[in-house]
Amino acid sequence: MSYWNPDNVRDVAESVGISSLGDDVLQSLSRDVEYRLSQVLEEALKFMRHSKRTVLSTQDISQALRVLDVEPLYGYESTRPLRFGEASLGPGQPLFYVEDEEVDFEKLINAPLPKVPKEISFTAHWLAVEGVQPSIPQNPSSTDSRSSDLVSKAAGATTGLASISGNDNATIKPLVKHILSKELQIYFERISLAILDESNEDYRIAAFSSLRSDPGLHQLVPYFVQFISEKVTHGMKNLFVLTQMMHLASAILDNESLFIEPYIASIIPPILTCLVGRRLGDPSQPLSHYPLRDLAASLILLLTKKYAQSSHTLKPRLARTFLKHFLDPYKPLGVHYGAICGLQAIGGPEVIRVLVIPNLKAWEAVVRDESAGGEKEMVIKAVLRAVGSLEDESRRGMVNGFSEAGAEEMREKLMESVGEVIGGRIWELENMGLVKAVLECAGS
Amino acid sequence: MGVDAPILYHRTYPLSSRLTYLYIPSTLFSVIEYLSKKGYSRTEAMLRMESANTDREGRPLIQRAEDLGGDKYFKAFELARGWIEENLDIYKPELKRILYPLFIYSYLNLLADCYKNESQKFFNAYKDLFIRTHESDLRVLNTLSLPEHVNSNNIAQVYRTNKYRVTLSPQAYYNLLQFLEAKDREGGTIVLSILQHHCNIRTAERGGASGSSLSLIGAALGQGLKDEDVLAEDEGIPGHNPGSANMTDSSSTVLVRLRLGHLPMDPDLASDVQNELQDLDAKNPPGEGQNTLVQEFETHIKREQSDDTPSREDMPLPPYTARDVAMEVQKVRENRDRFKIEGKTGGTGPGLSVVMFTWHNTYDSINCLDFSEDNLFAAAGTSESYIRVWSLEGRALQSILPQAADTTPLSSSRRLIGHSGPIYAVSFSPSAKNEDPDPIWPSTAPRYLVSCSADKTVRLWSLDTWTNLVIYKGHDDPVWDVTWCPFGYYFLTGSHDKTARLWSTDHISFLRMFAGHDQDVDTVCFHPNSVYVFTGSSDKTVRMWSIQTGSTVRLFTGHTGNLTSIACSPDGKTLASAADDGFIILWDLASGRRLKVMRGHSKGGIWSLSWSVESSVLVSGGADGTVRVWDVAVGNEASGPQGKVIAEGGAGTKIDGGATGAQGGSAAGGTAGVANANAGGGGKKKGKEVVVTPDQISAFPTKKSPIYKVKFTRKNLVVAGGAYLP
Repeated sequence: MSYWNPDNVRDVAESVGISSLGDDVLQSLSRDVEYRLSQVLEEALKFMRHSKRTVLSTQDISQALRVLDVEPLYGYESTRPLRFGEASLGPGQPLFYVEDEEVDFEKLINAPLPKVPKEISFTAHWLAVEGVQPSIPQNPSSTDSRSSDLVSKAAGATTGLASISGNDNATIKPLVKHILSKELQIYFERISLAILDESNEDYRIAAFSSLRSDPGLHQLVPYFVQFISEKVTHGMKNLFVLTQMMHLASAILDNESLFIEPYIASIIPPILTCLVGRRLGDPSQPLSHYPLRDLAASLILLLTKKYAQSSHTLKPRLARTFLKHFLDPYKPLGVHYGAICGLQAIGGPEVIRVLVIPNLKAWEAVVRDESAGGEKEMVIKAVLRAVGSLEDESRRGMVNGFSEAGAEEMREKLMESVGEVIGGRIWELENMGLVKAVLECAGS
Repeated sequence: MGVDAPILYHRTYPLSSRLTYLYIPSTLFSVIEYLSKKGYSRTEAMLRMESANTDREGRPLIQRAEDLGGDKYFKAFELARGWIEENLDIYKPELKRILYPLFIYSYLNLLADCYKNESQKFFNAYKDLFIRTHESDLRVLNTLSLPEHVNSNNIAQVYRTNKYRVTLSPQAYYNLLQFLEAKDREGGTIVLSILQHHCNIRTAERGGASGSSLSLIGAALGQGLKDEDVLAEDEGIPGHNPGSANMTDSSSTVLVRLRLGHLPMDPDLASDVQNELQDLDAKNPPGEGQNTLVQEFETHIKREQSDDTPSREDMPLPPYTARDVAMEVQKVRENRDRFKIEGKTGGTGPGLSVVMFTWHNTYDSINCLDFSEDNLFAAAGTSESYIRVWSLEGRALQSILPQAADTTPLSSSRRLIGHSGPIYAVSFSPSAKNEDPDPIWPSTAPRYLVSCSADKTVRLWSLDTWTNLVIYKGHDDPVWDVTWCPFGYYFLTGSHDKTARLWSTDHISFLRMFAGHDQDVDTVCFHPNSVYVFTGSSDKTVRMWSIQTGSTVRLFTGHTGNLTSIACSPDGKTLASAADDGFIILWDLASGRRLKVMRGHSKGGIWSLSWSVESSVLVSGGADGTVRVWDVAVGNEASGPQGKVIAEGGAGTKIDGGATGAQGGSAAGGTAGVANANAGGGGKKKGKEVVVTPDQISAFPTKKSPIYKVKFTRKNLVVAGGAYLP
C-alpha cells in the first residue's frame, strides 16, 4: 500500500520515547512521511532541471531541503551518484546503505597526492555548414542509430534538406527495413533451388508455373530481379543457368498480379547480356547459344510491348544499344545476331527499314568472310528474317507480273543496295514483293 | 426506509421475535399472509413496499450509485468513460476532454473523504489515460494520501480552488447532460455534481466559417485533435480565455492593445549614427549589389516608424554615449552583411551553419552558458558557485586594474568568485563586434555580466576589472534566470519565490515585481522593444507583462510540462516557448492565440531557443543533445487574422480574441484549419516513439553533449554550446 515501511515510523517513535503507537496512527504517519518525501523530491527536481541535468544528485536534495526550511542532511555531498550496498537482515528484509570505505589515515597521509583533475576547456567545431552536418570526428556518424528519429517521418516533411544533410544516404542503408516473412523466404529459397536444378525438369516447370500465377509474390520481386542479375553476371559460361534466368524473368513478367514497372530498369541489363553478350556458353559449341539469344530477344519484344508506353525512353535506348553492336564489325557474329534480333524485336519492320536496310551493304563485310560457317548462316538467316518482316507489310498494293528484263534490272539494283551476299539470298527467295520492298527502303 | 415499519413490528409482535422475522423472507411471507387475513391492508402494503428494497438476506438493496461509498466514483467514471467511448466519432475527442477533470476531482474527493485505499485504486486504475499529457501533475498528486495533504498541497489546491475549464460544442454538451440525467441512478448524478462544482464547461460553436459538420469536427479537434498529446488552448487550470489575460468570463473578449513596434531611436543618436555611417561609406564604398550603410540604416529607421511603436518615455534609458553610437554603427553593418534567410523555399529550409562549442572535463558541473553578442566571450556558471569567462579566440583577458608585478602570463579565462550557491544563469550585457577597430572609437566589447544563483542574489560583474560590482538582493528564494534588456541598463530575473523582478544596474533594489504565477518563474525574456517582458513558470503558463503597469497583459496556457525556455522573435510579433516535455509552442502576441505546436525534441528539457534576424527560423537545443532548426512559417500560413479590433477607446484598442461570438468563431475556425493541416501532415503516432512535426527543417545531433545554449548571431550564424558528458 504505502511504500514507506511503517516499521520505520515505529522505530523513530520508540527512539523518542513513544512506545505504543496505534496502527491507524502508524499508517497515517507513514503516509505523511511519504508525502513529505515526495515534496522534497519535487523541489529537488526543480534544482536538477535548472542545473540542466537529467540525473538527480544529492546536492539537489540538500538545496531542496534548504528551500523547504529543513536542515540539510550532511555527509552525502557527492558529485557522483552514490553507490548503495545491500545487506540482508533476514529473508525479505534488505537493508541499503551508502558504501563508505574505511580509509587508513596513515596511508592517506603518506600516499602521493592525487592527480589534479583536468582543467575545464572548450573546443569548437562545425556542427552544420549550410544545413549539412559535416562528417568529422566531432560529429556523430550518420550510421548512429539515433539518426532515424531526427527527421520528420511525416509526408511533406522537409526531406530535401534531410537527405543532403547526410542523415540518410551516406551509407546505403534503407531507412525502412524490409521485412520478409519466413514463408516468403522459404519460398524464395525453394524456387531458386528448383529452377537451377538441372536434373529435375518437373520441379522446374512447377516452379515457373507457380511464379507465373502466384498473386502474393510482390515482396519477392526485387529479390528475384537481384537473383537474375547476379546469376547472369556470374554464370556467363553456363547456358543452362542463363536460359533458366531468362525463363525466370519471363515468368515474373507474365505474372499479372505483379507490378514490375519499377524494376524494368534493373531487369533489362541481364536480358541484354543474354542477347548481345560476347561469349555465352561453351565456346566449343558455337551454335549452342543462339536459342538463348532468341529467347532473350523475345523477352525484349515482350518488354517493349508492355512498357514502352510508360517509359518513353525505353525503346530509343535499346535501339541505340543494338545499333551500336550491329555497326561494329569487330564484334563476334553472335553479337550481331543478337543485335539484329533485338532490333527486330523492339520495332519490327519500321526499325528494320530505317536502321538495318540502309546499313546492310556496309555491314556485309562481316558475313563475307568464309571462315565461320554455321554461325554465319545463323546471322544471315536472322537478317533475312528481319528483312522478311518488311514484306508482310508491303504485300498489299503490290502489282503482280513484271518482265524478265525488269527482273534482271531489279536484281542488280538489289545487289547494289544491300550487298551481294544478302542481296543474293533475298533474290533466291524469289519473292518479288519483298525485293521491291527492300529496294524501296534502300532507295529512300 | 420509512419510519412505519419498526412501529408496525412493534405493534404486532413481541420484541424478541422481531429480528428473526425481519430477516427471513419466508417468515415475512407468513407475516404478510397474517396481515391480509386480519385485514390490516395498509400495513400489509407498507410492508410489501419495504421488503421490495431488500435482498434475499434482508439487507437493503443499493440502487443509487451515491450510496456505494468510495466505489461510487469508480462507477461514475466508468459510466462516463464507457459512454464517451461509445459515442459518435465527431463528439468523442471533445467529450474525452471532460474525463481528465472528472478523474482528478474524483480522486481528490476520494482523498478528501478519507477513502485511502479506494483513492489509490482509482488512481492506479485510470492514470494511464492521462499520464501522457499530465505527467508532472499526476506525479505530484499520486503522492497525496491524507485529507490534510489535499488541503496543503499547492497543486491539489490549485485544482480545488479553481474550476477546470473545458469548452464543448453545444450538441456534445446537451448529449452529455441528457445521458447523465437518464443514468442518474447509475452514477450520472455524481458526474453531474463534479461537473457542476469543479468544472466550468463553456459551450461554443466552433463550426468556423463553413459551418458544415465536418469542419465542426475539425474545429473541435483543431486544438484538441492532437488531443492525446496537446491540451486545447483554453483548457485547464486556471482556464483562461484564449487570447486574453483575463480569467473571468465577463471581460473575456477585451484585450489590452499591445505596442509591439520597435522602440524608436533617440533622434540625436540617430543623426550621429548617420554621420558616422556616411564617413564609413565614403571610406569603404559598398560592394556590388550592396546597399550603402546609410540606406540600410534608413530602411531600418523607417521600419520603426509604424503606428504601434511605444514611446521612448515608456522605457527611460540613460543618455547615449559614444559607445552607443559605435554599437549602432556596428549593428547596421552586421545587419547588412548578414547571411539572409529568405524563408522556406522549394521544400528545403535555409542551410544554416552551426558552430558548436563543446566543454570538456566538466563532470556535469556547468549549469548555464552564455555567449557575448560580439562572439568573443563565453561564460559558464557552475554548480560550484563560480563563474568562468573564456575568450573564444584564446586571447589573454586584460584587466584595467594595475597588475601585481608577477610575470605569469595572463590566461585566456578568468574565474569570477563570489556567489555562495550554484549559479543558474549568466548573461552578457549587449555588445557588438568591431570588425576593423578604429582606435578613436570606444570599445564595443561587453562590459558587464550578470549572474544569479541559489544564494538568492544577483551579482553584476565588470568585465573591465573582472570584479564584482554590485550584489542585488531582493528575491526570497533561489533565482533561476536573469537576462539583460536589449538596450542594456535594465535586467530581469525570475525566481523560485514565484515572482519576476525588473532591476536597473544603478539601483540596488528592484524597480518592478511581477507577481501572479502560481509557481516558480523558471525563465524570463524581454520583448525586443523592452516595454514588455515574458515569464515562463512551472505552473505551465507563460505570461506577458507590461513594464509600465507591472500587470499581466497576456496569458498563454497549453503547455503540459515545466517551461524551460522562452524567446521573443526580433520582429516582436511571436513568442516561442519550450517545455521539458519536448514541445515548442509559438504564440501570436497581438491576438494572444497559439499559432502552432512543434515537436521533435525528446523529453528532458529544451534549454535554449533563438530566433533568426528575420524571425523566420527558430533554433532550439536541449538535453537530448540535438540542435534543431524549425520553420516558423509552415503550418500557420493559413491562419490569417486571428483577432479583430472591434472598438477603440481610451488607452488602447480592444481586440476580440474570444472563442465566443461570430467573429471569434471564425477566428477559431482559422486556427483550427491550421492545426488540422498540421495534424494531417504530422500524422501523430502513438507510443514511445518521438514524433517530429514536419516543420522541422533539420536536426543536428552531437556526441553526447546536451546543448545548454543556442544563439543566432546578428549575421544569422548559429552558435551552440554544451558540455561533453561521456
